[in-house]
Amino acid sequence: MNYPVWELSMGAGILMAWVSILHVFVSHFAVGGGLWLVVTEMRARRTGDDRLLDFVKSHSRFFMLLTLVFGAISGVGIWTTIGLISPHGTSALIHGYVWGWAMEWVFFFLEIGAALVYYYGWKRLDARTHLAMGWIYFIAAFMSLVIINGIVTFMLTPGGWLENHEFWTGFFNPTYWPSAVIRTFMGLAIAGMFTLMTAAGLPRDAFRTRVIRWNAAWAFGGLVVVALAAKWYGASVAVWRDEEALLGAIPILPVVAGYFKWGIIVTALLALVPLLLPKVWNRGLVAVLLLCGLLTMGAGEWTREAGRKPFVIQKYMYSTGMLASQEDVVAEQGMAASAKWISPDAMDDPVRLGRDLYRAYCQPCHTRDGYNGLQPYLAHWDEETVSGLLPRLENIRALMPPWYGTDRENAALTSYLMTMKPQTKPDWPADPDAAAQLAFDVSCGLCHTPDGFRSLRDSFGGMTADEIDEFLDEAGDVDEGMPAYTGTEKQRKALIRYLEELGQEPQPAGETAAVPADSEGRQS
Amino acid sequence: MNPQVIIPGPDALPLPAPVFLLQFLLQLTFLLHLLAMNALLGGLLITLFARIKGDGGDDPWTSLPDAVAKVSPSLVAATVTLGVAPLLFLQTLYGQFFFTSSILMGWGWFSVVVVLIFAYYGTYLQSFRGKDLGGGQMPLLGLTVILFLWIGFMFTNNTSLMLHPEKWAAMYFADARGLHLNLTDPQLWPRYLHMVLGAVAVAGLMLLWWGRSRLARGDTSGAFMVRTGGGTFTWFTLVNIVLGLWYYMAQPAHVRKLFMGGQPLATALFGIGFVLGIVLVVLGFLLRRQGEGANPWPVSVLALAEMIVMIMMRDAVRAGSLGAHFRPETFAVQPQVLNLVIFAVLLLAGIGVLVWMVRQLYLAWER
Repeated sequence: MNYPVWELSMGAGILMAWVSILHVFVSHFAVGGGLWLVVTEMRARRTGDDRLLDFVKSHSRFFMLLTLVFGAISGVGIWTTIGLISPHGTSALIHGYVWGWAMEWVFFFLEIGAALVYYYGWKRLDARTHLAMGWIYFIAAFMSLVIINGIVTFMLTPGGWLENHEFWTGFFNPTYWPSAVIRTFMGLAIAGMFTLMTAAGLPRDAFRTRVIRWNAAWAFGGLVVVALAAKWYGASVAVWRDEEALLGAIPILPVVAGYFKWGIIVTALLALVPLLLPKVWNRGLVAVLLLCGLLTMGAGEWTREAGRKPFVIQKYMYSTGMLASQEDVVAEQGMAASAKWISPDAMDDPVRLGRDLYRAYCQPCHTRDGYNGLQPYLAHWDEETVSGLLPRLENIRALMPPWYGTDRENAALTSYLMTMKPQTKPDWPADPDAAAQLAFDVSCGLCHTPDGFRSLRDSFGGMTADEIDEFLDEAGDVDEGMPAYTGTEKQRKALIRYLEELGQEPQPAGETAAVPADSEGRQS
Repeated sequence: MNPQVIIPGPDALPLPAPVFLLQFLLQLTFLLHLLAMNALLGGLLITLFARIKGDGGDDPWTSLPDAVAKVSPSLVAATVTLGVAPLLFLQTLYGQFFFTSSILMGWGWFSVVVVLIFAYYGTYLQSFRGKDLGGGQMPLLGLTVILFLWIGFMFTNNTSLMLHPEKWAAMYFADARGLHLNLTDPQLWPRYLHMVLGAVAVAGLMLLWWGRSRLARGDTSGAFMVRTGGGTFTWFTLVNIVLGLWYYMAQPAHVRKLFMGGQPLATALFGIGFVLGIVLVVLGFLLRRQGEGANPWPVSVLALAEMIVMIMMRDAVRAGSLGAHFRPETFAVQPQVLNLVIFAVLLLAGIGVLVWMVRQLYLAWER
């Protein structure tokens, strides 16, 4: 709104995901791996185990090349990327937390300095000094995690900061501690995974078995703690505690949270293999383990990001840059007047106005046909559907920021969105069940779920096809939040089939308990 | 017709420190970044020249690059680390301008990260595997240098585009895919070349010091470094005076005026900078004539002073170009005193630990 929007056809989210998931995996390794290095070195020196010491030494070279180069630079990369795709969010984080970042920077240069001295000191420094360098490295890296964790968790659960805007209130927010534990132990687990990789190349003998067991213990042990802390974390996020979001308010959330959960289980089981059967451990299994670890970590970060929707900083700033505190003003003056980057041509050119509004407000999250693409929906919608939905955007269960367009703005954006509608007629599934599901997904399913969030099953219980048909005629009059039904004849038939079946089938077992008392949803 | 000017508003959250303090930290950390960057980029450019000149045998032009290759990865680490802080303070103070220009050149700006990872690995490859590469060493070094030059070019594009809000709206409405650069700006090339060749000059001076420390330990290869470094410094400083004047000429008239009496500080800086430049060249030639035993302290202190003057002039250009668009006096400020103190204490302790660590390594190496 305040800043121009970078038009990325792949979707800003995808670029962000690539940069951050790769970085996060390596940066956690940089923390956990630091502890592994120094603890394993101590162990080797205490027991006089020269082979183990050599192993630590050779691993430290790989460690330095991966963490100092890829890890550090991709971290700067995250910062660069968020500045490009969410400048308003970045600016807010910098204004609120300049001194946090500055403190982190001190640990950053200490970490890098210590890593270099540790590596180049293998031959030159005496054992005690060398170990001291290792400890300095680990402490600096860990402190860096401690600080960044505060700022990252703040974005999802700012807690009391919303009232007082106080640095430390936002820093030690409701998810601070569980997240710190998850990240710390994830770091230890990843350290185990990467050292299992280095160890897989050792000649097969008793030493290899010993080293593999030792590393596997890090991986497995770390993951067990992560699993426990994840439970604690889930309970700390207010909106998830109400289970509202998990019931489908944010459709992607239960999916990615599920990936995270299963990811931890599968990765932990995989890490058990080298622990129990070190002899079978080989490079292929290492690759699978690392990939599982990477995807699990990615799912975890994605869960946190998705859980924040539609905000950049929960309840303070929307993804579009609109501040929650600005809403009244925006509602009054309209969307174009509230956005800075609307071309002067848009004043008398509705097409241009639509395009500029799309760019300013939709594009921060959506693409045409890629990530969060609109075409799959537009293919099944007509102008009436779009104009009915626009003023009700905040009801959509993907959780979108509210839309305060004037009539002219709504008309302009609607016409622009219609230009994105695919020219060819969309494929309509031949299978009646698939058709019914699709008809539901592009209409009622936008805001409702069968059983969870704003559930529909009971509402349609026992209704006949004719009754449902009649209801669809009056859908627009049910309440302010609901648009009229505008589907084509074909869609309508399929939707009726869906709703009729929904009303007849009992609710699947196991989901009853999960329905919150207030399944009306989040109108407020 | 006046072009439409759109500038994002300042952040809704107050600045956590007074503007002057953030300005000071920006300039200070930028100086440190510049020193490291000059050692790296200037060092690599000198190395490239030496590689081209060397015969691959045991002539000094061949051994010099090998020595630089060993330290260049650590120089990248220092440059990046010391670059983070000024970038942070820049975004704190000038976010309205900096984020906007970054978005307009989105892919170019993003490329810095990707290119840097490759360039960084390039320096490690030379450091760890240089000898095994044989004939591949030259192309690798050449590629690494090109990558670093690319990064610098993107920085110059961004830091100059952020000074021209009057260009943004037209650029954005013409194409929002982040493919713009600031190529039409007359100050782009002199600004960039001034930075790059300035880096070579400063790196020359550093090479001279390095040679001296070798000589002090009785290593005669230092003599060549002292000679080459001194010559590089002198000649490139001379070239930089010319580039600096070109950079000045390329400024818009209202900015030029500031340096010609319009603003006392800017005018004084321009005068001092120019005179210092001449003095440095003269001292450089004298140093060469005096040979290896000459005292490089005066020229080094003055060179550092010149860098500070240049940074302050750069700031004056920024202030002059943004003019009324940048009004720090309107920013809300709510100092976070406790956090500032924590940062200061951590910083001092951090520097102490860093110095201790490097000293340990140095002492062990001496032994």
